[in-house]
Amino acid sequence: MREEDGRRVDWANSVKLLRPVTIADAVAALSGEAEARCLAGGQTLVAMMNADLLRPSALVSLRHIEAMHGVSAQQDGAIRIGAMATHAEIAAFAGFRGGQRIIGAAARRIAHAPIRNAGTIGGSIAHGDPAADFPTALIAADAEISVAGPQGMRRIAAANFFLDFLQTALEASEVVVAIHIPPAPADARSHYEKLTRIDGDFAIVSAGVVLAEGADGRCSHARLVAGACGPTPIRSAAAEAWLVGSRLGAEDREAAAELLAAACNPIDDFRGSAAYRRKVLPRLITRAIEAAWGAVQ
Amino acid sequence: MNDRSDLVDVGLTVNGEVVDLRIPCDETLLTVLRERLDLTGPKRGCNQGVCGACSVLLDGASVRSCLALAANCDGCSVVTVEGLTLPGVLSRVQRAMIEAGAVQCGFCTSGFVVALSALLQGNPHPGDAEIREALAGNICRCTGYMKILEAARRAAREPAHE
Amino acid sequence: MNDGGAVGIGVARLDAADKVTGGARYVDDLKRAGMLHAAVATSPLAHARIRGYRIDAARAVSGVKAVLIGPDLPQNRVGNFIKDETTLAHGKVRYVGEPVAAVAATSLQAARLAAQLIELDYEELPSALSIESALAEEAPLIHEELASYVAVKPGKSRGNIVWDVLMAEGDVDSAWSKCDVIVEGEFRTQAQHHAYLEPNGVLADIDANGRLTIWSSCQSVFHVQQRVAEELGIPMSRVRALVPRVGGGFGGKHATNLQTIAAALALKTHRPVKLVLSRSQDFEMQRSRHPARLRMRTGAMRDGTIVARDTEVVLDGGAYADESPAVVSFAALMSRGPYLIPNVRCRGIAVYTNKLRAGAYRGFGNPQVTFAGESQIDELAGRLGMDPVELRLKNMMRAGDRWFGGQSVTRCRAAECLKAVAEAARAAPALPVRTGRKRAFGYAAATHICGMMGVGASVQLKADGTVALATGVVDIGQGSDTVLTQICAEALQLPIESVSFGSPDTDISPYNWKTAGSRITYMAGRAVAGAAGQVRDKILEHAAEMLECAPADLELRPGGRVGIVGVSGKEITFQMVAGRSLYRVGGPIIGTHSLVYDGERFDPKRATVEFSAFDNPGVYTFGALAVEVEVDTITGKVEVRRAWSAHDVGRAINPLSVEGQIQGAVVQGLGYALSEEMIWDDDGRLANPTLAEYALPGLADVPEEIVPIIVEDPEPTGPFGARGVGEIPLVGVAAAVANAVAAATAARIRQLPLTPERVLEAMAD
Repeated sequence: MREEDGRRVDWANSVKLLRPVTIADAVAALSGEAEARCLAGGQTLVAMMNADLLRPSALVSLRHIEAMHGVSAQQDGAIRIGAMATHAEIAAFAGFRGGQRIIGAAARRIAHAPIRNAGTIGGSIAHGDPAADFPTALIAADAEISVAGPQGMRRIAAANFFLDFLQTALEASEVVVAIHIPPAPADARSHYEKLTRIDGDFAIVSAGVVLAEGADGRCSHARLVAGACGPTPIRSAAAEAWLVGSRLGAEDREAAAELLAAACNPIDDFRGSAAYRRKVLPRLITRAIEAAWGAVQ
Repeated sequence: MNDRSDLVDVGLTVNGEVVDLRIPCDETLLTVLRERLDLTGPKRGCNQGVCGACSVLLDGASVRSCLALAANCDGCSVVTVEGLTLPGVLSRVQRAMIEAGAVQCGFCTSGFVVALSALLQGNPHPGDAEIREALAGNICRCTGYMKILEAARRAAREPAHE
Repeated sequence: MNDGGAVGIGVARLDAADKVTGGARYVDDLKRAGMLHAAVATSPLAHARIRGYRIDAARAVSGVKAVLIGPDLPQNRVGNFIKDETTLAHGKVRYVGEPVAAVAATSLQAARLAAQLIELDYEELPSALSIESALAEEAPLIHEELASYVAVKPGKSRGNIVWDVLMAEGDVDSAWSKCDVIVEGEFRTQAQHHAYLEPNGVLADIDANGRLTIWSSCQSVFHVQQRVAEELGIPMSRVRALVPRVGGGFGGKHATNLQTIAAALALKTHRPVKLVLSRSQDFEMQRSRHPARLRMRTGAMRDGTIVARDTEVVLDGGAYADESPAVVSFAALMSRGPYLIPNVRCRGIAVYTNKLRAGAYRGFGNPQVTFAGESQIDELAGRLGMDPVELRLKNMMRAGDRWFGGQSVTRCRAAECLKAVAEAARAAPALPVRTGRKRAFGYAAATHICGMMGVGASVQLKADGTVALATGVVDIGQGSDTVLTQICAEALQLPIESVSFGSPDTDISPYNWKTAGSRITYMAGRAVAGAAGQVRDKILEHAAEMLECAPADLELRPGGRVGIVGVSGKEITFQMVAGRSLYRVGGPIIGTHSLVYDGERFDPKRATVEFSAFDNPGVYTFGALAVEVEVDTITGKVEVRRAWSAHDVGRAINPLSVEGQIQGAVVQGLGYALSEEMIWDDDGRLANPTLAEYALPGLADVPEEIVPIIVEDPEPTGPFGARGVGEIPLVGVAAAVANAVAAATAARIRQLPLTPERVLEAMAD
């Protein structure tokens, strides 16, 4: 706060814009400023600034960092998604295979086209909203998130990235660099199911399913994740274990869904009550499993 | 407008014209367009990126100008509804909106014209599903959307060169 | 009508080209030299006494030019029926979001910061946030001085009761014994927000004489002028009110304290002041639709004759009376529906609560009462084993019957509208079945009115034979500029391009009450037709002298000409007449017409009507709706696949606009039925005051088709036979959807909105 002629001039710190061109510069910029925020697509950050919910001292624009852009398939079939890849790019990416397709499916459910044109996966996951679409899908796809910080680069499994409501494993001055989707199992099928009040809304509840069928016709791989029913997306190893080795008959599907639902802890909010979420969750998960199992390659 | 945040030099191409500005870095593109460049076609319906009344084309894609920081758009091309209008000539999108009865209070109209124009620029004869996906992010409270969809279908049927 | 006439044609809106090119100017697009920006500080508490103000920090913000608090302004209380509101809160705050202070500064950010720095010392009071708590014996009094307020008419106001109306016909209490089947239930409806896409805004300018010129996004320039003058205690001649383009209203932009706040800041600073609300402030500060609790009982004989209906409707009116007295009176009036039920009673109560005021909103109490009434018709049909359409038709009114209260209904195509939608729905090719979904049709019949209050119009003949039309009618997007121009053109057989339309300006436009109540085409249309008719008469008088015959021998011909009936060739042009009038004989030709709706009152021999806020609304209009609904049995989510909406509009002056009104109203009704709900927390704070949280139907949420069906049985008193259609298509939507859900799932839900949660729960019961 400064004073001029005895009157207040600043009501808060003024905002600076920093435009690093390398990851190292970005980390340095974040480290150098208290209250600095990464500016990715701005779809959440600027909305919060417009609502006077946030007033960063500095904005570190990631726009010019080449290493953070692009979506590409690697030699081994893994997909590397730069943190600054937009939802639209990801939704349109034709290189997903097998269970990786859940990432594209989730991207297509985010808000509406104009938001997808500008919003980025890095910005979305760094925000850590369990009702968003990527967190659930990334966990279901066994994604890893590579992060850069003052201590260097590290990789965090998606399952360990989301710690609490709007809280991620990002430490001070760390920034998401890329998201890696592993290739295995290539013939897996996936489905992302999202229940909303109106189109484009955040989920009331959601479910991400990746399944693979072995040569014996039994389930060889399962990932079941529920979104918007806990402070983070919820995965149930017990539910997955139930399905693996089964023929995914109706009873198995329902049992697994119940196990996952039981692991969830939904709250009351204006999109729905905890009671409703509890009631609808097992049924929605069952539906998602059916859809994934029947999904065409 | 914040008079105290860092001023940043920004070069934009707005409706085909190069514009050089020195603006606070936390000013949105919507504010820059409306307050500094007198382009009041994009509207402020919510300032939260939900309603779409602020839609502009940013490097050809329909985006929420209320969620874009102008200072972060250096080197970008911005097209507002005014930039989609040749003097005295209506585009096929604009004509279709009028003829289909898709304009009532008009506050959402700029946004729909931008979104629909963006769609047709990339895809001159889109089908219904593509139209719906492109326009689903714009809210209208007056028309119930029916005639907006009719306008889009009408425009999609016309030859691309207008 | 003549070939190539202007009426009955879906001409393009006059303002559409401006709107599609981005050239249309709304209030936030306007600028004035030296303009200041205003921001409003609001109450964080639902109910509290104001003990003090601390504004030094606000004043110290650079760029701030004025800070106003309640005591700075005259304490003139205003209100349509009960004068209970001041411009800024004075002495007390009564809802979270109530304006307590206002700031004008050189930048919007400075103004908003300063507003945030204003602090009031509050002594918190217990609050009443619901109908039940407001009516409870120990309820905190929201307006302790209610008895001392000026009331335009008596309404049995007392305690937290704003208004208490009773209407009755026949003998309801004895009628139940005649009924073989009685259905009874309690219905609950929610607060819906208008969610016009353009937030409320004002630009108040001031000249060197201190006279105010106010541009606002509003539904009546005359109301703005009147209210500002009344609140500030200045003559109306010191206030000029105009409109730029208005981005939607739906009842939420009737004059408010915003115009006065901006005006007061302009007066204080001697500079133009612009005040535009943020979206969340608009949600929190302005108006909503009345939440309602309805207790209804309807009884019928075994053969389906409906014998009795008893209704108690309690409306949650929020912190200020606003239009609650009229809304609850209208709800009572509409409670019988378009049926010949001989024994009917409705008690309507509006209560104060510590939430933002509920006011006018498309439908005006009718959607609430129709939700209950049309649901009960279906419930009766179920109990009687009758088809719900047949039960309605069996009891339906016809032309010549009387409405509840005794007013005559001279034209009534209610049955035809219902048959039209039922047939259209049945004839529609079946959609493929989707797994996990249950599907059914649902129906509702609706009635509304379109005649009320006063309006004038003037038409002037220009030197070249074209005309200038002036009305005080604000086009809020429903297309009145164009429709009124069409009427004027048709009346004078001129092409539309020959009629200029003057934008409303209280300095020069003839009075119009407001754009509300579906009244513009009917009421203002009559004024326009009358004014044009006067111009026609004067033209014929001139022409008669010029042609040396009698006016009765003459006829207008298309394109601004006058000729002798049966004689081709010999013609006078409007231009020739204009020249004669302007330079030689008679003076400028100006036609005017003024009217106030003066229809039949309630009939005291037939009905008891106590404390109705009005006695003179009229021209009943009828319509019906069919919806095809699918319910997802896993999630409870309701999807309306198709809808058919038929309305007798008398004459569609602009059929394209009529269709647009029908479709738009149906979608607003779908929001009301399925997803929209303002939610308050226990402290009286609105929990979802943003478009991200308040669930408006988007393009991907609406039916694949909404088929508008225009029925035309000309209204004898209407301009070219026209009636209004702005509200009626919304009225029956919630009931039709609830009826379809019940038909599909056997779950009868009596609460709105029909969220997936409510539907799933009802299916489980």
